[in-house]
Amino acid sequence: MSHQLKNRGEEGDRSRRTPSMKRTRPAEKAPGRRRSQPGQKERAGGSPASGSPRRKQAERRGRRELLGDRERGSAEKTCGGRRKKDGRASLREQRAASKKEKEAQRKEEMWKQLKKHRSSSVASSTSSGESLSEEELARILEQVEDKKKLIASMRSKPWPMARKLAELREAQEFVEKYEGALGKGKGKRLYAYRMLMAKKWVKFKRDFDNFKTQCIPWEMKIKDIESHFGSSVASYFIFLRWMYGVNLVLFGLIFGLVIIPEVLMGMPYGSIPRKTVPRAEEEKAMDFSVLWDFEGYIKYSALFYGYYNNQRTIGWLRYRLPMAYFMVGVSVFGYSLMIVIRSMASNNQGSTSEGESDNFTFSFKMFTSWDYLIGNSDTADNKYASITTSFKESIVDEQESNKEENVHLTRFLRVLANFLIICCLCGSGYLIYFVVKRSQEFSKMQNVSWYERNEVEIVMSLLGMFCPPLFETIAALENYHPRIGLKWQLGRIFALFLGNLYTFLLALMDDVHLKLSNEETIKNITHWTLFHYYNSSGWNESVPRPPLHPADVPRGSCWETAVGIEFMRLTVSDMMVTYITILLGDFLRACFVRFMNYCWCWDLEAGFPSYAEFDISGNVLGLIFNQGMIWMGSFYAPGLVGINVLRLLTSMYFQCWAVMSSNVPHERVFKASRSNNFYMGLLLLVLFLSLLPVAYTIMSLPPSFDCGPFSGKNRMYDVIQETVENDFPTFLGKIFAFLANPGLIIPAILLMFLAIYYLNSVSKSLSRANAQLRKKIQALREVEKSHKSVKGRATPRDSEDTDKGNSKNGTQLTKEGTAHHPASQSQTLDQKAQGPGASSSASKTVLLASQHLPVSRAPGVRPDSGQARPQVHPWRSTSGKRAWRPPH
Amino acid sequence: MGSRSSHAAKIPDVDSIRRETGFSQASLLRLYHRFRALDRTGKGYLSRLDLQQIEALAVNPLGDRIIDSFFPDGSLRLDFPGFVRVLAHFRPVDEEEDGNRDPKEPEPLNSRMNKLRFAFQLYDLDRDGKISRHEMLQVLRLMVGVQVTEEQLESIADRTVQEADEDGDGAVSFLEFTKSLEKMNIEQKMSIRILK
Repeated sequence: MSHQLKNRGEEGDRSRRTPSMKRTRPAEKAPGRRRSQPGQKERAGGSPASGSPRRKQAERRGRRELLGDRERGSAEKTCGGRRKKDGRASLREQRAASKKEKEAQRKEEMWKQLKKHRSSSVASSTSSGESLSEEELARILEQVEDKKKLIASMRSKPWPMARKLAELREAQEFVEKYEGALGKGKGKRLYAYRMLMAKKWVKFKRDFDNFKTQCIPWEMKIKDIESHFGSSVASYFIFLRWMYGVNLVLFGLIFGLVIIPEVLMGMPYGSIPRKTVPRAEEEKAMDFSVLWDFEGYIKYSALFYGYYNNQRTIGWLRYRLPMAYFMVGVSVFGYSLMIVIRSMASNNQGSTSEGESDNFTFSFKMFTSWDYLIGNSDTADNKYASITTSFKESIVDEQESNKEENVHLTRFLRVLANFLIICCLCGSGYLIYFVVKRSQEFSKMQNVSWYERNEVEIVMSLLGMFCPPLFETIAALENYHPRIGLKWQLGRIFALFLGNLYTFLLALMDDVHLKLSNEETIKNITHWTLFHYYNSSGWNESVPRPPLHPADVPRGSCWETAVGIEFMRLTVSDMMVTYITILLGDFLRACFVRFMNYCWCWDLEAGFPSYAEFDISGNVLGLIFNQGMIWMGSFYAPGLVGINVLRLLTSMYFQCWAVMSSNVPHERVFKASRSNNFYMGLLLLVLFLSLLPVAYTIMSLPPSFDCGPFSGKNRMYDVIQETVENDFPTFLGKIFAFLANPGLIIPAILLMFLAIYYLNSVSKSLSRANAQLRKKIQALREVEKSHKSVKGRATPRDSEDTDKGNSKNGTQLTKEGTAHHPASQSQTLDQKAQGPGASSSASKTVLLASQHLPVSRAPGVRPDSGQARPQVHPWRSTSGKRAWRPPH
Repeated sequence: MGSRSSHAAKIPDVDSIRRETGFSQASLLRLYHRFRALDRTGKGYLSRLDLQQIEALAVNPLGDRIIDSFFPDGSLRLDFPGFVRVLAHFRPVDEEEDGNRDPKEPEPLNSRMNKLRFAFQLYDLDRDGKISRHEMLQVLRLMVGVQVTEEQLESIADRTVQEADEDGDGAVSFLEFTKSLEKMNIEQKMSIRILK
């Protein structure tokens, strides 16, 4: 009886095993065909990160194939011819199987044999890489014949159309691929050649992938930092790298389309007043102190707006520089908006796919974190660090999720903290407003003291120095998870920095308006001077006077260049301050702590000063606001982006070095969310904010009369109108005029709002559906789990599987789990009734099998799998003696 | 290549080893070469010292455990069959073989169970069939060093036990071990493709 049961158990076991075989086979199919590469799969397995997508694909394909096979098995009941392959086949002979099924078997067998051949004679197959043995040729020939037959008889098969098509295509492909191998001489060589090429191609692709990975700049540095400081610090560096990429594109745009054409084709320096240093500044124009302030020769260079001439076209290319200048200014913003929004969207897409429940986080980390292929001690050190960090991160997450606290107290504390911080923000906002007002008064007064002149800057930097730590202290009340805490901190400091921005812009606007009001008088003076110069008496009337030297022409203040210089100075000083802070605050402190610790009263490393932590929020915001400055300033100082590229590049290296040399990881290392959409959101906000003043100046301030590409026009955007009128056919001008009609613009805006509303609601409903599906999957998993645990409890536990012979069956099962087999449960009960002694091995078999069902597969997917399975691969009886018995 | 295959005969008991481990002739040959390369003094067996010279093992926190697994029952000599037997755990799984394997034969060394058992034994120091909390702590100390406080290490160990332990004995048995790693693709991860 127990024998019988065992037998039945094996049927179940067989049925269970088949799908996973099927599942893995396609992965092997490719290398199997290209016989010359043994172990393609394994190589992919060596680096699980790169190999896993391929494997998944193969799995999916395998599953499809499996379903197809089942269909085949159940749909086809006709008896087909029998085939004798080898000793194993005799077992198969015992039952009548469908023809189609046979074909699948044959195919499979071929792969098996191919593989067997490969494994049994690796030496020969590697040495004679591309040539084919006779045996193999015969096999392929046979297979090709089969496929041809299949193609011929496809019409009469009772299959659905889609399947017929798929089969046909597959068969044709196969025939096409392998027919060449069967030809004598040339065909064979061609086949061998193609094999060789395919192999080379795979290798090339792999090498190329490696190359691509190596090409990602600073990847190793960032990984290094990530392994020591956790993903949160690394996220800053990834953001910095992204920013560098964006700035490179902007740099290419501005340099390629504005600065280089101007330098190559524009009028040279000294030809006209706007391109010449005025007489009064000439002697100091080359001094370093002047140049450092971006005055002198730098001010009258292509780096700034004022240098550009308002000629419509320049050079022999007739390049329309003013137009290009305007369009580049617009496209800088356009590109930045697009790239920010696109990366936000792609981050979102990535985040929806991760929803894996992590049931065994710690077990996984504990048992599988070490990569046994590591042979380099540096890599090993990094791996140590990253294992440590990931443990720390998980601990933080774990503590956070297990925290049980007084909800009311927490809520109260959070409200209190927010209240305090809002008070702080309002206070500092008012302080800034007050100081700015005062400074406007001071600017009107004569002989103000140094403090009064620099009051705004002093107050701003004091606020910037003391508010963030204050916020952090207050935030400790809130007791958030550090990841969320970082976001709050970022948002609050952002609000504070907005005040900074506000004062800066306000001061700038005042300056601009002052200059604009003076412009009219200067314009008159210029005209008058020129007029006077040419018409003055006392000069010989017969000889035309030489034109006035450009350096002597009185000129306006050119507010655009002034704005550009302000931004330039701000960027450079910001960079300096950052670097000096890092040097003093981090590096010197680290040196002090490290070396003075030998002769100090208390432990410096553990005690008061200790080492600095990397300030993520400050650095991220610094980067974001710096980028805002660049966006605002690049219209008036085209060279600003170049400076910024340099800044980002140096700060990448400098900060990487500083972090690794003088910072310590945070006390609570936390895992950053993979998508740093929060940074991106802040960046988008800053981009929008910096768009506003630029748009305002372009749209509503008149450009200076004697400098810049738009001089002489009423407004800067007139350049578009001019181009449309002069360079396009007239009907286009009419169309533009028509499009600019408010009667058209308002409906267009309305339409856009409607579209936004519609898309928004669609995406909301989709995400709701997504969440529901996820819940469903979760529920299915839970059901399956509880099922398993019920079964696990139903079987005796005392049988420790130390006995090898006993565990054998279990092992076979656990290797390939499959969907739940209803028969096995009843069987378990049967065996239990029999007593553990008689059937301990069989019952363990079931236990193990039930425990190793892959969770990803829902039981509802193939309800009849238990019955259908044995028909698919019936020859896979593990016993040579026992005959296969059809399921009842 | 040709000169290599002439050495095939030199391996003692080639056939029995092949039957036991399922290695192909060529890989056995390769392994034999490796074996002899590791055996510097040409004594015909490997000692612990020979294995400790391997750099990849030297940087591995569990390197000593791995070396231990080559020397079962406290023996000090590792001969070629023993060497191959251990390495057979890492042979890639071959479906063809388990499809038509005679169930009376012992299961191949590279089966999922045996791979897992090998991994399990790395953690199970006292070979009592259970990874106790103490053993876990030792492994953790090896893996993360001194950077994490003892308290945290203990909380990790507790958490791991809590996750994996089902019968509540405060230790992870082999069964629980396999269960916690059931989603892990052990067949692939614990395979070295050159050992075909």
